[in-house]
Amino acid sequence: MRDQKHARFQALCQTLRPDLLRFAIWLARDRAIAEDVVQETLLRAWKSQDSLHDEKSAKPWFLTIVRREYARTFERKRLPTVDLDDLVAGEEPSLASGADQDLAELRLAIFKLPDEYREPLVLQVLLGYSTAEIAAELELSNAAVLTRLFRARRQLRVLCGENGDEDPQE
Amino acid sequence: MIDCADYRRILLAEPKSTDPRLTEHRAACEGCAQWSAGLTRFEDRLERALQLRLPAARTPAAPIDNVVPLRAKRARPALRGGVRTNGAKATKPWGFGDDVPEAREGSRPRWWSLVASLVVAAGVAGLLWVSAPRESLAAAVVAHMAEEPEAWRRTDTAVATGKLDAVLASAHVRLLPNAGLVSYANSCEFRGHRVPHVVVQDSTGPVTVMILERESVAAPVNFDEAGYRGVLVPVSGHGALAVLTRTTALDPAAVDRIAMRVEGALDWSREPAGG
Repeated sequence: MRDQKHARFQALCQTLRPDLLRFAIWLARDRAIAEDVVQETLLRAWKSQDSLHDEKSAKPWFLTIVRREYARTFERKRLPTVDLDDLVAGEEPSLASGADQDLAELRLAIFKLPDEYREPLVLQVLLGYSTAEIAAELELSNAAVLTRLFRARRQLRVLCGENGDEDPQE
Repeated sequence: MIDCADYRRILLAEPKSTDPRLTEHRAACEGCAQWSAGLTRFEDRLERALQLRLPAARTPAAPIDNVVPLRAKRARPALRGGVRTNGAKATKPWGFGDDVPEAREGSRPRWWSLVASLVVAAGVAGLLWVSAPRESLAAAVVAHMAEEPEAWRRTDTAVATGKLDAVLASAHVRLLPNAGLVSYANSCEFRGHRVPHVVVQDSTGPVTVMILERESVAAPVNFDEAGYRGVLVPVSGHGALAVLTRTTALDPAAVDRIAMRVEGALDWSREPAGG
């Protein structure tokens, strides 16, 4: 019974890992940090798997751990600051590989969004969160989430030359 | 009725909003209808941009690296103006707040942490290793369907019955009406064989089904590749099915549900031609 439960949890980790890693990459803007964060997340989740009572809630449960682990990475390390453009340039090859070449410009623009705009956008578009779910996860009001999502898209469209002049002002 | 600025403001925050005021405004305003079409294209690109390819994480070797403790790794630089802790407190998001494990400040992994990590890593490595050949099949399926953009149109027009029958006849299979509306049917060269594939219009969007008589998978395998989600399903005596969607918001369980419905609608009792 216990083995069965562990096997199911392993399968769950395998299923969710790609989305967790993508989320962490967009959060951290650095693949290596993201992989560290996801690894720590899986480890922590493994130790606390008994607290996950319903597998349907697994994804938000894991994502919450990812966010906390990411925050703790910076708390622990007190890392030096570098220029974002240098970091983006370092990540560029992995962001523009193969068939995804045409999306490279958009990915770089997403990287350049402030954290407070990028995170709700990723939760909404990549992970399918509703406004209310994002608000709960980020501890914000619904109105604040909507404002951030609006600003995120507006900035992105300007950065990508996407008809930004026809977009409304705030 | 809302004005153009409000209409666009709402959609820039929630492009998939079903607010009836939006429908009403779009029907009455040609400018906003055009602007919306542009936003839809932008959203499609945005979805694909966020779906980063993760080749390194899919290799059997990757989990081995995962057992190296985080703190033993090289310190990485933070981002100018980008460091944020989000103020994440243990409230009750999703009803799990207090159950979500909290890290102890400055804690270090103990021996049992590493053992647990090894168990997780070994399990994931094993699963990845076992599934590696099938993932290459998944990649081939995705690459193939990515080249048929016309198959991914959302429509309520059914493909002609004659065309559907002709496509499925080569695989000696029929699609029962409970599969839903079939909008596309084609037979293409895939890994050296003609492979029929059809598109069923699901409530979540178009779902492609490829009938892979010459392929085999030992167990259902979910995949998530280049903006496509799907599952490879073994079909006893008939190879395998690939069911894939482009709705990135769908979770694997939803994909499985769609796959089960489509699989249940396939009638394999059709006699081979001339036999």
